[in-house]
Amino acid sequence: MARAGTLSRRAFLARVGILGAAVGSGGVLARSLLAPADAATNPLLPPAVDLIRPVLAELARDTMNGLTVFAMPGPDAYSRTQGTPSRTPGAIEAGATDFIINSLDNFVPFPDELAQPIGAALVTGLADSGIELPGLDVLPVQLHSLDKALAAYLESDEALPLSFPIAGLLNLMATQVNPLAVNGPHLSPFARLSYAEKAQAFELIEKTDADLVALLDVHFPEPLKDSVSGLLKFVGGALIEFATFGAYGESAVYDKVRRTLRKRPVGWTATGYQPDGPVEGWDDFIGYYQGRQEVHD
Amino acid sequence: MRDVIVIGAGGGGPVVAKELAAQGLDVLLLEAGPRNAHPRENWTTYEDDANNPLTGYLRWGPSDRSKPAWYREWPQNSFVWQLSGVGGTTQHFYGNYPRAYPGVFEGYDGADKSGYDVDHRFPFTYGEMVPYFEWVEATMPVMTAAMGHKEQTFFRGAETLGLPVQTTKTTHHPAYRPQENAILQPGGTAGKTADPKLLNHPQATGCTFCGYCFQGCMRPKGAPRNQFAKRSTDNSYVPMALTADVWARGGKPVTLVADAFVTRVHAEKKHGVLTATGVTWRSGDVEHREDAKVVVMSGGCTENPRLWMNSGLPNPNGWVGRGYTDHFFDWVFGVFDDYTGNPKGVGSSARLDYPPYGGLENVGLPPALAAFAGTLSDSGIRGQYKNGRGQTGPWDGPAGRVMGPELKEVLSHGIDHLLSVLVITDDDVEAQNRVTLSALPADENGPIPKVAFKQRQRTARTLRNREFMARKAAELLRGAGAKKVYRIDWAPLILHVQSSMRMGSSERNSVVDPTGETRAVKGLFIGDNSALSNGLGGPNPTLTSQALATRTAENIFKTYFGGDPWVRSSAPVVSTDPRISVRLGQLGL
Repeated sequence: MARAGTLSRRAFLARVGILGAAVGSGGVLARSLLAPADAATNPLLPPAVDLIRPVLAELARDTMNGLTVFAMPGPDAYSRTQGTPSRTPGAIEAGATDFIINSLDNFVPFPDELAQPIGAALVTGLADSGIELPGLDVLPVQLHSLDKALAAYLESDEALPLSFPIAGLLNLMATQVNPLAVNGPHLSPFARLSYAEKAQAFELIEKTDADLVALLDVHFPEPLKDSVSGLLKFVGGALIEFATFGAYGESAVYDKVRRTLRKRPVGWTATGYQPDGPVEGWDDFIGYYQGRQEVHD
Repeated sequence: MRDVIVIGAGGGGPVVAKELAAQGLDVLLLEAGPRNAHPRENWTTYEDDANNPLTGYLRWGPSDRSKPAWYREWPQNSFVWQLSGVGGTTQHFYGNYPRAYPGVFEGYDGADKSGYDVDHRFPFTYGEMVPYFEWVEATMPVMTAAMGHKEQTFFRGAETLGLPVQTTKTTHHPAYRPQENAILQPGGTAGKTADPKLLNHPQATGCTFCGYCFQGCMRPKGAPRNQFAKRSTDNSYVPMALTADVWARGGKPVTLVADAFVTRVHAEKKHGVLTATGVTWRSGDVEHREDAKVVVMSGGCTENPRLWMNSGLPNPNGWVGRGYTDHFFDWVFGVFDDYTGNPKGVGSSARLDYPPYGGLENVGLPPALAAFAGTLSDSGIRGQYKNGRGQTGPWDGPAGRVMGPELKEVLSHGIDHLLSVLVITDDDVEAQNRVTLSALPADENGPIPKVAFKQRQRTARTLRNREFMARKAAELLRGAGAKKVYRIDWAPLILHVQSSMRMGSSERNSVVDPTGETRAVKGLFIGDNSALSNGLGGPNPTLTSQALATRTAENIFKTYFGGDPWVRSSAPVVSTDPRISVRLGQLGL
């Protein structure tokens, strides 16, 4: 039984992207950090929470790169992996990833009372998927250390950045669509998907009876159960809309202090919007339709 | 002890406040959000800075933009676009002021009378409403919209549909026309030049065609606040309310307090009847309480039910928060080889009315909002998945999000080679579409609202009307010369809000009686869109809401202050009156 538990635990951590981001090829952590011997002997080793925080941050950023190029592809590596490269600048050049991470972590008015259990559910709850994953070469001891670090992080008083459970959700759906996405370029499973596979992942999130919704609801007491289901339906749409709004907007080049633009936004160049910048008015007044300037009953 | 406390300085509250201030009453007007008294210092023209629902200066949240917005629960893919701040959603509206269709009022006897939401009509006649329409139209003032290229393109398409041109204020049958807008017509250099040096007031007056309605109107540059082109309430009714002593004989200026979030309406039994006595509000962490003879709730279709429930007021028939209508919008846009003028000029200056189905209007949008509008869908992603829908029709391919490479291709063709049409549905009042209190954690202002719309289970009439109008939109765009037409099948984007505290003739399904007073609490009135009896047949709600608020103000004055009505016996003062401008200058506004 213990063996099966370890396996499914490994599968789950791989699916939400944490395992690969931590110790996969190109992962954020040196594997030795997760070796229990080091923890026992090296007093300089950061505590578990410090160990896991950068892993989750990098994983979230990588996942959001995969999301923003889905909204607006460009000449970057993520758009190439997605199979829709474009010669002209896209979401990465527009700074849309920073936009969406900053929005999620600092401004989405999502109560910690919910973010915390959703994050915990994603990390601790959804173990047995039944999906065969290509093996990640990781030792049970390393897995155990990673799990302990995660648990410590979730139990700390630190507010959970919302980008983490959102990234976990996208990565979980990504591996549902394509189990092979646990390995490959980039850090996150979602970023490894093709454009069509990303669409499939969103189809799963938008489905009203998604298994995921049911699974997550298990972890919430009434009366929050229905709320969590509904929120996830909302999140599916909002991620797409916000990613496109960020990709075509000016946020990355806006100087908040001077209230001016540092340079022309990518979205303005792409669409030809106000070629000479903001205006006081336009010479677009043609006249009145049929010459009628007022009407009466 | 005030005469009247008005909760909310959005589209409706300032109307009640101004009208009663003109009669000399002592009125306190409370607004949850910021004042935005000096827009040139606080506003820009940028989409993210202005319209980002999380961080923009036009959002639903506290004045301090480093703090998160106020959250609410939406248990579906949807977006309820509330705004805090003086002016409410009129800060970002397009100033479209069509009258409600006559068919939504009691006593209507037209040939199409059975085609409307017959169970939820206004409890009085269209004829009774006309003097109030005229009063608001003269106050704003409402004017026939000037035409730019996007209107010319819209009319080119409308001309192919075999419909007449409407040349009256009242809509009697399907027809198209320039909007009747609460936007000052362009004068002087306005609309004739893009040279900013030539666009200062008074060389330019009225609308300069800047295209920034949705980012807030502060043009022409140098104009007094009450002479900015767009007649949002912060440019019209609020300036009048604050200066009532200079333009109304015996008038008394309103006291306006911003950053004041009302968390409770107080009521107690007087002579055995539950009666409103006052309100409590929060400013920062400090609570304040004032009492008044009359309390008016004008917080909007989502906040009024929330405040009612958080105040523990009775809800005997269960209709507080129910019957929320939203015109079940859809979005259809065309790609043109020719220049369309999108996104210049007023947000919308052309419309097509189609009673008893709904209507259409053209909408100009800048790029980020155009991208948002193209990706808000209940039909998945075009070419990828349909989410169980993906309607087909006279548009190209199935309905759904225009996304990723396709969106980039469409927008790269040129933002000024698109024309967007908002599909406005005459939607039924339905008990299932409603505001309740959420089980999610409360915020600093109390338990939060949950806004539920069951868009896929709406009435057969509502669903039919939406499909009918979406087809008309596509046919119009084809007629205008679009080489490609997309239908998005929007998820609920709740921008036109009506009827969640509805007025009705029946005690069974209304919160407000025909005078505007709530049935359950005496001395408590509803003065905004939420009191509307229904979705008006599709016309944009602000004019009808303000006309109804004017009528309610008269009823308050008659019933609680022994006064006489004034709308039929006097002439309104126009909100651009120079006496108001002079006093605003003296007040540093």
